[in-house]
Formats: sequence, structure tokens, C-alpha cells
Amino acid sequence: MSDLVDSTNQLEVGRGDVVSATHGPTSKKDGHLRRKAWIRRLPLLPALIYMVIVTQAPFVVTLWYSFRGWNTETPGSNKFVGFASYSAVLSDPAFRSAAVVTIEMTASAAIISMLLGSAMAILINRTFMGRGVVRTMLITPFLVMPVATALLFGTTIYDPYFGLLNWILSPFGVNHVNWVGLYSMPSVVAVLVWEWAPFMMLIVLAGLQSESLESLEAARVDGANAFKTFVWITLPHLRQYIELGLLLGSIYIVQAFGEIFILTDGGGGNGSATTNLPFYIYNKVFNAFDFSQAAAAGVIVVIATEIVATVTLRLLSGLFRATEVMS
Amino acid sequence: MATITLEHVTKVYPNGFEAVHDLNLNVADGEFMVLVGPSGCGKTTALRMVAGLEDITAGSVSIGERVVNDVSPKDRDIAMVFQNYALYPHMTVAENIGFALKLRKVPKEQIKQKVIEAAELLGLTQWVDRKPGQLSGGQRQRVAMGRAIVREPSVFLMDEPLSNLDAKLRVQMRAEISRIQRRLGVATLYVTHDQVEAMTMGDRVAVLSAGRLQQCDTPQNLYDHPTNLFVAGFMGSPAMNLFEAVVAEGATQLFIGSQAITLPSELHAVRPTLKSYAGKSIVVGIRPENLPLTDNARDSESTASPFEGHVELVEALGSELLVHFTTDAHAFEITEVMDSNAAGLADGTLTKGDAGVARVEAHTKIAAGERIRFWLNPERLHYFDRATSELIV
Ligand SMILES: Nc1ncnc2c1ncn2[C@@H]1O[C@H](COP(=O)(O)OP(=O)(O)OP(=O)(O)O)[C@@H](O)[C@H]1O
Ligand SMILES: [Mg+2]
Repeated sequence: MSDLVDSTNQLEVGRGDVVSATHGPTSKKDGHLRRKAWIRRLPLLPALIYMVIVTQAPFVVTLWYSFRGWNTETPGSNKFVGFASYSAVLSDPAFRSAAVVTIEMTASAAIISMLLGSAMAILINRTFMGRGVVRTMLITPFLVMPVATALLFGTTIYDPYFGLLNWILSPFGVNHVNWVGLYSMPSVVAVLVWEWAPFMMLIVLAGLQSESLESLEAARVDGANAFKTFVWITLPHLRQYIELGLLLGSIYIVQAFGEIFILTDGGGGNGSATTNLPFYIYNKVFNAFDFSQAAAAGVIVVIATEIVATVTLRLLSGLFRATEVMS
Repeated sequence: MATITLEHVTKVYPNGFEAVHDLNLNVADGEFMVLVGPSGCGKTTALRMVAGLEDITAGSVSIGERVVNDVSPKDRDIAMVFQNYALYPHMTVAENIGFALKLRKVPKEQIKQKVIEAAELLGLTQWVDRKPGQLSGGQRQRVAMGRAIVREPSVFLMDEPLSNLDAKLRVQMRAEISRIQRRLGVATLYVTHDQVEAMTMGDRVAVLSAGRLQQCDTPQNLYDHPTNLFVAGFMGSPAMNLFEAVVAEGATQLFIGSQAITLPSELHAVRPTLKSYAGKSIVVGIRPENLPLTDNARDSESTASPFEGHVELVEALGSELLVHFTTDAHAFEITEVMDSNAAGLADGTLTKGDAGVARVEAHTKIAAGERIRFWLNPERLHYFDRATSELIV
């Protein structure tokens, strides 16, 4: 009996809340319903709480500190100062230089690894003997820890005396070049590309393999050569995959830290040519001991990244919607 | 403008399946050749070899004077309509249709002109700015058609281009394609399942079964003079009636079941080998329209014999009646054999068929359960060897 009432009540609620709100007796049933809804969702609660603690709490703490003037070198500085830390960070030339470095580093690493990854994907997208082995080997760099990669590059490839790069180039009159010191930005970017090209390759490969062979055949019959087929048919198809790869890759490359820490320690050029935003924040905490400015810088970076990512994601999701209609 | 010539073309797929076996076919300049056959008989494979999308295992394909076995599709100057449309998903309808022209560096204005014309012809005008994903199957098929007809290629290849259209549109497009083909005078190889398309559109029709060419002739000849049981059974709707029959000693009579049909000497003059089947069992084919109820032929030639049956079902089609009848003779039908290595019976087997069918004038008074008497003219019958399934001549 109560089940029956319940279900009719649900029907009413379904038709519009107005009905249940105007009738006195039904509001009691409403409470009953709400409790049932809660019971249904209760098992999700631990996950939700965990999520909030892990992702939101640190952010709130950061936000809290960013409005204080806390520098452990200056006793009594841990008090509320409003936006002072923000203005200090924003007017810090080092911060602006770090922002520029981040953009340069991210853009060049993402684009170069996309180009390289696409080339590898095209090569691997045909059947040949040992394809599985080659594919696995090509993916491996992505699986190595950034710090390990950077160590490997620093000690075995870039080293002025024992490095592979100098040895390979020695026939061309290159001798004992201090790559990391002289070309610090390209050295770091090269390591990032080595790490991220496999990721791009995987994404582009997925794109290539999802392409319909028939439209390629149609293009051949229509008179397109291999190059034109690629430009007119394959590339437009790959576009969304390339954009997705660039977006995801960039999100991670923006956060690059280990490579820089190991290879250049943020140095090169005028002394900060490879200091990106994460490294800047690290310096603020562990060299300047200015927790509040570090927090403020962190908040600024989060907001900026959020804006960039939202805009890009909106563009991409538009694309996804278009392709949904298509398939 | 060119011819298409296939000489001893064989296709064996990498998995060892022989899809086309020793195919010889010649499409003359400006000719409309229709390729028909049951599903899976190798029509698409044959077409794709002409297009260059499939390697040719043996034999040669020529377009014009040139052997094109090793010529890439883009250099063959062909326009093809794919069975599954194969549209470019990210291009609009207009871009799809104009793509081949764009590749040929035709001026933009001219492309636009041609695309508009084609879209109008195909009834696609209101969809030119849509992408293929937003079109219905029939609309996509018309876009695929449009992509072929804006060009002036030396060869048209069309793989069931009308299969997804409704009946009315199909009739309309059939006429449209024929007109375009005649206007451009381009050799055309056209694949279809549809008998009516094959009969109405083709200058000649090639019947394929299990990768083998059965017969290639004008539609009328194919219908009137099928050279083997497969063609006899495949062409025509409703299909030709096939009965087991025994040629009497002396070959003056033919027994269809227990009923005797007189075989006049005029028939033996036309089919001399029939005599050698005296005392043997053969298959006799009767078109549904060659089962008249009145003995019109009797007045002039007096060669017709009565042939009786038991009416099982009468289907009124408006213009005519289809009378399903049974006799005491074994009825057969043709079932295609998928294994192309199973030779004999022209790649089909005789299986026990249903009742016979006759086409009768619409207002004939007849009902199920009655006995019916037809007049069989032996010269209108088709006689086939049971073992080889070939026509007895
Ligand atoms: N890539 C392939 N590998 C192996 N066998 C194939 C391949 N493609 C087609 N076949 C086989 O070859 C035969 C002929 O195929 P085809 O596509 O030419 O048939 P079709 O006559 O066009 O049939 P439909 O009328 O159904 O389109 C079929 O039996 C099919 O299973
Ligand atoms: Mg086919």
C-alpha cells in the first residue's frame, strides 16, 4: 500500500514540484523521499569527502596563506595583509620572466613532441615485422620517471666530457660543449620532447586507426596523391586528436619540475632561463622562505591555467559534439 | 572516353578465398554494362580491381589501350560510386561533390557551378552545406553519386548506387543516371542486385555467380536465351519454373511428371542435341508468362500441348494474377553454392522447389483448389542438361 502511494507521489513530483508544494499531506511524503534519496547516495559520501580533502583543502589552505605575509625569515610576519603578496608577486620581474619561460617551454615542447609523435604514429601505422616491439620501445620514454630521464640525459648525453652528444658530434669538430650550460632551454625542451612524443604518438595513432579506409580509397579514385590525401582527408580527421594531445600534453608540461631541478636548477642564460612557474614557486618557498608569496603565485597560476584550459576545452568540446553527430 | 577490358582476371584474397575466377569482360566505349549476381558473388571485388583498389592476382585489366594492372587509382581517370558511400566526413556535401574538381585545379567558379548543377539533379540543393553525418542513407548515397557525375572521367564504376533509395526516387534516379551516362558517352560498369535495374539500364548485362561469369548479353537475350540453369533461374521475377522432365524414347514426347508434351519435328530442327537425351532425365524451364490458359498458339502452329496443375494460391497484382500451382512433377529451384571450388551446375545446385507460378490475365476467374489447364508451346520451353546445367541446343 505504501509503495503504491509512494509511486503516485513520485509521479506527481515528476510532473512538477508545484503539485507537491501546494498539497499539505504530500510534503510529509517529500521528506520521506528526500531521506530515501540520501540513503541512495550515502555510499558515495566517503569518496566525496576524500575528494574534497585531497583536492580542495590544500587549495583553501593555499588561499589562506596567500592573504597573509608569512615569511619564515621575518618573525611576526604571519598576519593578514590582504592582497599585498599578490601585488608583490605580480610586480616581481622574476615572476613575469617565469611566466614567459613557462609559455615558451610548454609551447615548444608540446608542438615539437606533437610533430615528432605524429611522424612516429604515421610510421607505426602500417604493418611490418616486429611492429609490436617497436611500438613498445617507442612508448617506453613516457613510462620513465621525469627525474630518472633528466638524470640519464644530464649524465650520459649532455655531459661535456663523457656525453654521447659530444661524442657523436666530435667528427664535426664539436668538442666538450657544455650543452646544459650554454643551451639550457633547448636541453630541457629536448628532454620534455623525449618524454612526451610517445604520448602524442599514442593519441595520433588512435586517430589514424579510427580513420575510415574507404574515404582514403575514395580520395585516391578522385585523383589525390598520397600527400594530398594526407592534407585533405587525414589531417582534418586528425585535427581533434592533435588538439586533444596538445591540450593534455600542455597541462602536464606546464607543471614540469623534475627535469629542470635535475638538469639546470632553473639556471642558464641570465641565470633564470629555465625557471618556469613551478620552479619559481619552489624557489619562493625553499630559497626565499616566503610562503605567502609562493601561495599567491600558486593561486595566480591556477586561475590563469583554469582560464586557458576552460577556453580550450570549450573549443574542443564543440568539436566533440560535431563529431558525435557525424558518427 | 575509353573501353574497359578484363582478360582472364582472377582474384584470390590473402586468406586464400577466390572471389573472382577467370573473368573475361569487355565494356565498349560508351556502353552501359550491368554486373548482376547474388550477394557475395564478387561484383564489388571485380569493380575494385578495375578501380585499382584491389590487387589483381592473375590476368589483366585495361582501360582504353592501356593495361592498368600497375597503374594507381588516381591515374586511371575513373569515377566511382562506392557501395558504402565512402564520403569525406569532415567536408560538406558541396565540398564532397567538388573535391575531385578541386584536386584537378578547376577554377572555383566552375566548381561551384557544377556542384550546384549536380545537387539540383540529385535533389540535394537544400543540403549542400550539411556534413554527411547529418544526412539520411539515401541522401548520402546521392552525394556519392554526385561526386562521380560532376567529373567527366573515361570510366564510370558504380556499386549499387541506388540501393538505399525509396522506390519512387529509384525510378527517377535510374532515368537520371542513364541520361547522364548517354550524354557523357562514358563506358560504365554498374553493379546491382536489382533485376529491374539490370534489365532497364544495361546495354548488356553480365551475370556473375561465385566469382564466375555465367553469361553476358543484352537484357532481352539474357531473358529469352539463358545459356545455363543459373542464369535461367536468376533472371526474371517471378523466377522461371524449373521441372524435372524425361525425354521419351524417340524424343517425340517429353514427360513432365506424368503429363506428356509433344515435341514437334520443328523443335528438333532448332535443338538437334535434344534427340540424344532420349530416355534421359533433363530439366525443363518455363517462364511464368509462357503458361497461357487458352490455346492461341494452336490456331497457327498447333504445337501446344495441355499441361494441368492444381491451384494452390492466387495472387492478384492488379495488372495480372500470379497463379501458384502444383503438378506431380518435381519442381526445382537454384541455390547458389558459395564455395567456388565446387564446380558443376554452374555454381548452383538444384534444390527442391515450391510450386510452379504462372502469370495470368488479371480478370481471369480462378480460385485456389481448382484445377487449371495451360497450353505449353514446346518452342517456348528451355531445356537444360541436368548434369552440366547447360542449355541443350
Ligand atoms: N578482404 C577480403 N578477404 C577475403 N575475402 C573477401 C574479402 N573481401 C571480400 N571477400 C569475399 O569475396 C567474396 C566476394 O565479395 P564481394 O564484396 O565482391 O561481393 P559482392 O558481389 O559485391 O556482394 P554484395 O552484393 O553483397 O555487395 C565474398 O564471399 C567475400 O566474403
Ligand atoms: Mg558488393
